[in-house]
Amino acid sequence: MSWAQILSFPFMQHALIAILFAGIAFPIIGVFVLSLNLIPLRFAMMHVALLGGAIGLFLKVDPLLLGLLFCILSSLALGPISEKMKLGVGILSGYFMTLTLALAFIIIYKADIHVLQAFNILWGNILSLTLLDLIIVGVISLMILIMVFLFFKEIQAILYDREIALAVGLPEKTFYYLIIFMLGLTIAVSMRLIGALLIDAFVLLPAMAATLISRSLKQTFFLSSLFGLLSGTVGLYLSFAFDIPTSSTIILVASLIIAGCFLFRRGASSHEKGG
Amino acid sequence: MHHSIELAKIYVRLGNVSVLQGVDIEAKPYEFISLVGANGAGKTTLLKVVNGTLKPSKGKVCVLGHDLSQYRDLNFLRRDIGVVPQKSNSSRVPIRVEEAVLMGRYGKIGLMRKPKKSDWDKAYEAIEAVGINRFAKKLVYELSGGEQQKVALARALVQEPLILLLDEPTTYLDSSSHSEIMEAIHTIHHQRGLTTLLVSHDSRLVEQYSDKIYLLRDGKSHLVK
Repeated sequence: MSWAQILSFPFMQHALIAILFAGIAFPIIGVFVLSLNLIPLRFAMMHVALLGGAIGLFLKVDPLLLGLLFCILSSLALGPISEKMKLGVGILSGYFMTLTLALAFIIIYKADIHVLQAFNILWGNILSLTLLDLIIVGVISLMILIMVFLFFKEIQAILYDREIALAVGLPEKTFYYLIIFMLGLTIAVSMRLIGALLIDAFVLLPAMAATLISRSLKQTFFLSSLFGLLSGTVGLYLSFAFDIPTSSTIILVASLIIAGCFLFRRGASSHEKGG
Repeated sequence: MHHSIELAKIYVRLGNVSVLQGVDIEAKPYEFISLVGANGAGKTTLLKVVNGTLKPSKGKVCVLGHDLSQYRDLNFLRRDIGVVPQKSNSSRVPIRVEEAVLMGRYGKIGLMRKPKKSDWDKAYEAIEAVGINRFAKKLVYELSGGEQQKVALARALVQEPLILLLDEPTTYLDSSSHSEIMEAIHTIHHQRGLTTLLVSHDSRLVEQYSDKIYLLRDGKSHLVK
C-alpha cells in the first residue's frame, strides 16, 4: 500500500500532520525529562489528568478538556510548590500522583461513573483528530521549537546542572518552571494524540535513543526529533498497512530504534577500545 | 572602601539542625581568606550564604557593598562571583569541556544572545590558565573528579569575577597534586586581583596562601590567623 493511498483518507492526513509536528517537537521535551529526572512528574501529571477527567464526567463537562486544564494547572503549580516546601519535584509528584488517583476513584465511585469511561481519557486516538486538535498540536510544537532556538544556552546550562546555571547568574528558576510548564502542555496534548499510557512513544523513547549516541546537546535535540519523526511516520504507515493499533506500532518502531542505537554505541565503543 | 564580603552574626538552620550560630567573617578586596573546619561544620553552607543561594535565618550579608536582604533577584551579583563547587558533575548530558567553561559567560552575555568570538577566546584563555587544553573537546562526564574540578575553576575564571569561592578544591586530587593546584589558585588570585574565599578541611594546606584563616567550629567562626 502506498502513502498516496493511505493519505486519501482525511483522518490519515490529520494523523500524519500531527505526527510531523509532535514527532519533531515532543522528543525535545523528552530530553528535558531525562536530563532533569522529571519522570515521576510526568506520571503525576497523567494521574492529575485522570482526576480532571473524572470531575468532568461528574459535572457533565468534556472530560478531556478538564483533564487538559488540570494538567496545565498542575504544571504551573508543581515547580513553585516544591520549591516553597523545599521538597524535590520527585517527592511532590509521588504525593500528587497518589492523592489525585485516590480522589479520582472516590469521584468515580460516588458519581457512579463507569470506570472505562473515566479511563478513556488515558487512551486517546490519533486517527480521530479534529482540525482544532491539529492547531493545538502545531502551536505547542512551535512553542517548543522556538523556546529551544531562542534560549538554547540557558536550557543547556540548566540541563547540565541547575546549580551552575544559578551560580553564573542565569534566571534558573524561571527557566525550570517554563520547562515544567511545557512538559505539562506536551503531556496534555499527547494524551489526545496517543493516550497518556503511550505518551512515551513521542516524548521519551526518541530522546532515550538520541542520548545513547549523541556527543553534544544540539545533536541530542536533532537526533531525538529525527527519531520521533521516523518512528511516528513509519509506525503510522505500518499500522495502516498491517491493520494493527497505531500507538503500539509507533512504540514498536521507537523501541527498535533504541535497540539500533544501543548496538551502534556498543560497536563504536568496542571499536575505540580495539584501536 | 567597602569590604568584598562581610558576614555579621549569621545564623542558618537546615531542618532541625542549627548549622551556623552567629558567624562573623570579613574579607577586604584582594584578600585570600580560608575557612577551615571538620566535615559537617557548615563550610559549604556558608559559601551558599555568600553567593545568595541560601538565605540565613538571621544576620547581615554584604557582598561587594550590597546588602543581600535588600534584593529579590541576585543574578546581577552572582555574575561577579565565581563558584567552584566541591561535588563533581553527575549529569549525563553531553557537554564538551569547552562548552562547560563557556557557561561562565552565559550570565554576562544576556538572555537570547549567542556567545561571540570574544567569549570563546576568554573561555580558551581560562582553559589554558588551568591547564586543561588537552581535553577541551572531551565530554565532561568522561573526566575524573579532579579534572572536573579544574573545569569548574576555568568556568569560574571565565566569568571574570571579583570574588572567587572555592569549596574543597583538592578533594578529588591525589595528595601530591594538592600543592600544585593551591599554587595555581594563588597565582590566579594575584594575577586577576580577586577576593578569594576558600573552604578546606586541611588547615596546613591553606596556611601559607591565606591572609586570614577562620576556623568554623560548633556553628561559630574563630579567627585563627
